[in-house]
Amino acid sequence: MRVGVFARPMQSHEDAACVAAAQAGDRSAFGLLYDRYASLVHGILLAHVPALDVDDLVHDVFLAALRALSSLRDPAAFGGWLAKIARNRARDYYRRAPRRAENELEDSLPGSGPGSTAANAELRAALSAIRELPQTYRETLLLRLVEGMTGPEIALRTGLTPGSVRVNLHRGMKLLREKLEKKAP
Amino acid sequence: MKNEDYLWDRSGEPDRDVARLEESLSSLRHCPSPPQFPEAEFEKLRRRRASFWRFSSPRLALAAAVAVLMAVVGYREISSQRAPANAWAVTRLEGSPRLDSGALRRNARIAEGQSLVTDSASRARIDVADIGEVELGPNSRLRVVQTRPGRKELALDRGFLHARISAPPRQFYVNTPSAMAVDLGCEYDLSVDDSGAGLIRVTMGWVQFESGVHKVLIPAGALARTRPGLGPGTPFFEEVSAEFQSALEVLDFASDDPAARRSALRLVLEQARRDDSLSMFYLLFRVSDSERALVYDWLAKTLPPPSGVTREAVLRLDQSQIDAWMDAWGLDHPARD
Repeated sequence: MRVGVFARPMQSHEDAACVAAAQAGDRSAFGLLYDRYASLVHGILLAHVPALDVDDLVHDVFLAALRALSSLRDPAAFGGWLAKIARNRARDYYRRAPRRAENELEDSLPGSGPGSTAANAELRAALSAIRELPQTYRETLLLRLVEGMTGPEIALRTGLTPGSVRVNLHRGMKLLREKLEKKAP
Repeated sequence: MKNEDYLWDRSGEPDRDVARLEESLSSLRHCPSPPQFPEAEFEKLRRRRASFWRFSSPRLALAAAVAVLMAVVGYREISSQRAPANAWAVTRLEGSPRLDSGALRRNARIAEGQSLVTDSASRARIDVADIGEVELGPNSRLRVVQTRPGRKELALDRGFLHARISAPPRQFYVNTPSAMAVDLGCEYDLSVDDSGAGLIRVTMGWVQFESGVHKVLIPAGALARTRPGLGPGTPFFEEVSAEFQSALEVLDFASDDPAARRSALRLVLEQARRDDSLSMFYLLFRVSDSERALVYDWLAKTLPPPSGVTREAVLRLDQSQIDAWMDAWGLDHPARD
């Protein structure tokens, strides 16, 4: 069944129950939340910081979330709340070391350097083009194209409406096609 | 013809461009590994929950007793603290806080137009709808200005509060006599003295501090002062020296004396670290034309401007060029309204 474009996403009651259990100190519930939301955090961070640093920052984000979990009033809002922590962590990454410029993002990709293959070159070109897009499109496209989440999953995890996600995906993809065409040899 | 359903939910015939991007980008995909989180954090959560249950039964019993007592005392006695449905729960944490002119009762609620006042020995907490909480410290006066969906606004006339908010940006506001703190998803301390001067310290996320004159964006780990009539000053990180802070106060608020300003600016330029580029960008707006050139030179040497950003444009405070410069170094700046 297709999710209506302008309908609110279904609330994940199972996730909300996990959040409530984790708030009571249940380690395995927090582990489940990690399994379900790590891709979301990874995709958001990848939109902002060098790829090689993303895995470490994913752990930082979940640790910050664990420490602040008791302050989360609405367990159903966990995804949006976590996404905000991830964006804040990405900002802190640059604030603490402003030497790191956005143009370092591409240099840090796996496969950079003398041994780079054509596939890696394509990866770098694609990621570089995505990172030139506005933040909203950038994050949504990375969640779809890198993390493999579908539009409805993105809506469910982020708390955005399916309509917003659909618009972000299609407008973002349109801009991405244009950028890649311009960059094509 | 492109298959837009494939981009949306991978149904139907794969779109060639999308499928190719999926394949080339898949090596970046997150590989889950078992998380190692400290047991102490879970133990804290368990203790917190245990203390909630330990105290909740007596609380309920006491609340029931109070309800009976209230019924006996009479409707009129309690009506002064009845509140509309969109009022927020307010809880005594210590001492004898007052709600308007009366003592703060158990299970009280605070509505638009009401004020919460603490003396030197009292503290209280307000649950701000479902978006977070505010703890009011001793010797403070806080008013509830708005409680509507989309905009919750308090006014801290004097004293201290700690706010912890989990809501989309720009839903929670705290006004002070000299600036408004706009929540961008954050946790912060805010204090206001009897003269109306304020200090904000952000501990998580970001806060925008604004008046009609100035607007600054303050990240976690940074502080900013504010003065009546002058608005927020230059934000600075908490590690800077007391001399550095004093020098910023001179430049922001205190002095038109050229010698004092020269001395303050010299100290700031000498002591500023690369991390203090946040302060230096905002300082561009707080100094005279001749002083601005010195600040520009420090910034240009420390964080070279990207192509397209010119010295002339920055010196005439071209906002878009300064934003572009901050963007190039990953430094956030207030969004233009």
